[in-house]
Amino acid sequence: MIEVKNLTKIYGKSENSFKALDKINIIILDKATVAIVGKSGSGKSTLMHIMSGLDAPSSGTVIVDGTDIFKMSEKKIDSFRATQMSFVFQSFFIEANATCLQNVLLPLEIARVPMGKRKKMALDALDAVELGEKANLKASTLSGGQKQRLAVARAIVNKPAILFADEPTGNLDSITGDKIMKLLFNLNKKIGCTIILVTHDEDLAKHTSMRIKVKDGKIEAIEGGNK
Amino acid sequence: MLFFDIVRRALRNLLSSKARTILTALAIAVGTFALTLTLGASNGAQDYAQNIVKSNFDPSELLVSKDQNLFQRQDATQPQVYDPSFGSITTFGGESRQVKLLSNSDISKLASVSGVASAEPGISVSLQYLTRDGQRKYIGTLSPYNPYQSPELLAGKIPSTLADNTVILPEGFLYSLGFTDAQSAIGQNVRLSVKNQATIASTLPTNSASLLNAQSSSASEEVNFKIIAVSKTPNTVISAATSLYLYSNLNSVQNLNDYIYNGTSNYQKYLVANVKVKDGTNTTKLNTVEAAIKSQGYGVQSVIDTEKTITQVISVLEGIVTVFGIIAIIASVFGVVNTMYISVLQRTREIGLMKALGMHRKDISNLFRIEAGLIGLLGGLIGSFLAIVLGIGLNPVISSKLGLGDSKLLIFKFNQIGLLIIALIIIGIIAGLLPARKAAHLDPIEALRTE
Repeated sequence: MIEVKNLTKIYGKSENSFKALDKINIIILDKATVAIVGKSGSGKSTLMHIMSGLDAPSSGTVIVDGTDIFKMSEKKIDSFRATQMSFVFQSFFIEANATCLQNVLLPLEIARVPMGKRKKMALDALDAVELGEKANLKASTLSGGQKQRLAVARAIVNKPAILFADEPTGNLDSITGDKIMKLLFNLNKKIGCTIILVTHDEDLAKHTSMRIKVKDGKIEAIEGGNK
Repeated sequence: MLFFDIVRRALRNLLSSKARTILTALAIAVGTFALTLTLGASNGAQDYAQNIVKSNFDPSELLVSKDQNLFQRQDATQPQVYDPSFGSITTFGGESRQVKLLSNSDISKLASVSGVASAEPGISVSLQYLTRDGQRKYIGTLSPYNPYQSPELLAGKIPSTLADNTVILPEGFLYSLGFTDAQSAIGQNVRLSVKNQATIASTLPTNSASLLNAQSSSASEEVNFKIIAVSKTPNTVISAATSLYLYSNLNSVQNLNDYIYNGTSNYQKYLVANVKVKDGTNTTKLNTVEAAIKSQGYGVQSVIDTEKTITQVISVLEGIVTVFGIIAIIASVFGVVNTMYISVLQRTREIGLMKALGMHRKDISNLFRIEAGLIGLLGGLIGSFLAIVLGIGLNPVISSKLGLGDSKLLIFKFNQIGLLIIALIIIGIIAGLLPARKAAHLDPIEALRTE
């Protein structure tokens, strides 16, 4: 369970300060699919960054399974992210010169998964996104949709408890984007991870169980609920 | 991330930009190349110097002089005060110097020093000429034979104690003196002529004509020496200075020397004495005797000192090349820093991703430091490899041109090269510190936003 308590984020100081998030409170139960929806600059990405521990709040906190992640040392937050969280980004962020397998192995190396287990886990993740046959191909040879599937495989290889997806279909055509979303929702059912989707696409958000609408750093509405 | 994974990832990153990696490594390779060659030349020079010393000097012997300043360079810019007690003015090493000479009582005194096996006057006789019946006259030098020299022989045998008026003839004189081969010379006589210096010394020649007259009118004597062995000309230039020396026993040489200086102030006076130390190959014993002789006011030079003198000039040249090599490596360090900074900039998004996935700051820093260290390793390997290949190719040519025989000018020691490469890895890692720090401190959110 993720509890976001009185989360406030202010950028800059005094006169030039900008309040990106203002006293946000959310509770997300395990295995939920949540969409954080809002226009560009609404604060949805900032919220995701703070919930994942990539950024620190000005005040308030985030509690994951009873642990306040901002009371952890930097090293522990890193380890927590390496074992419990994963990310899918709009720009894929894959290593073009590395093979598909090497790309998927990265989170396992960071999480210090024993070497003997890594290859099987990576191949299973590639099979799950139907890229098993391309394991030894260079990532640069993949199409846009395949690259995002590869990014999804990298995100699920560690069987994370929480998967953050930041505009995962933003760089894809609608058909490919739909396929990626179906893939993510299927994985939610299959591996039981919580999916937190950041998007400005309300149609896409409709597929999630809970929608948090953010406007000017505040929660405008919460629709649906945890399933 | 495990260290092994970091190294593997660093290798992959370097391989993915081969051209940049190799070009940066080449900058390091230039310095490494110069330093490897310098090390090789240094080893070769040391080896060469040791060979010279080994083939000419007995390591258990000390060279002793009456004058403590003999083995030191004097201040040539200041005139030396005349001291009548010195009794002799001689020229040493190209400069006019007053040098105290050893007498027979000094030799006896040196022989009685504790730990000394024997003390003999260090003499070499400049012959007026040497010849055989019906042959031309040749100038030559006669020296006492030191068993340590053990020359390679073409014919004959050298007994443990040489009899008076017997001689070891160098191959260089063999055919000039009309022998058909070395064996035919054994048992034959050569005539060695020496001239007494007293007549010349008592005449003050005012011009070259009066000098010639004084020389021709001075007494001279021819002595027959029986050839007991013929020594082979060394196939290196190591012994070139002495390759035409004739060797006899000390007594015979001393007799001729006495004849030359009889009636002069230098009669039975010697510039140096050869002092053999009991178990002198033991450095402690050698040093103890050296100190004891020095304490009696004598000047002493050991074989190690001689070796040092020979290698001194070489060391200066080596120092200059080493400095250039180090400068080249320092310059290449900036290349590594630059390359690593560019790498950080190019891989900002990758760094952001790794941080988002939970990679520790320290691991990211290590990744870049190891990449820089690997560039150092590659530069070291390329530079030293090229230097070794060049050395292997050049050694026979240099040895043949300089007449070094089997000696090599460039000798590579793998432990030295290994240490050099380790030093370069460390230098690479140090060069990567700032870029690695920059990478480690990148804000992951900013890094992920980078286009």
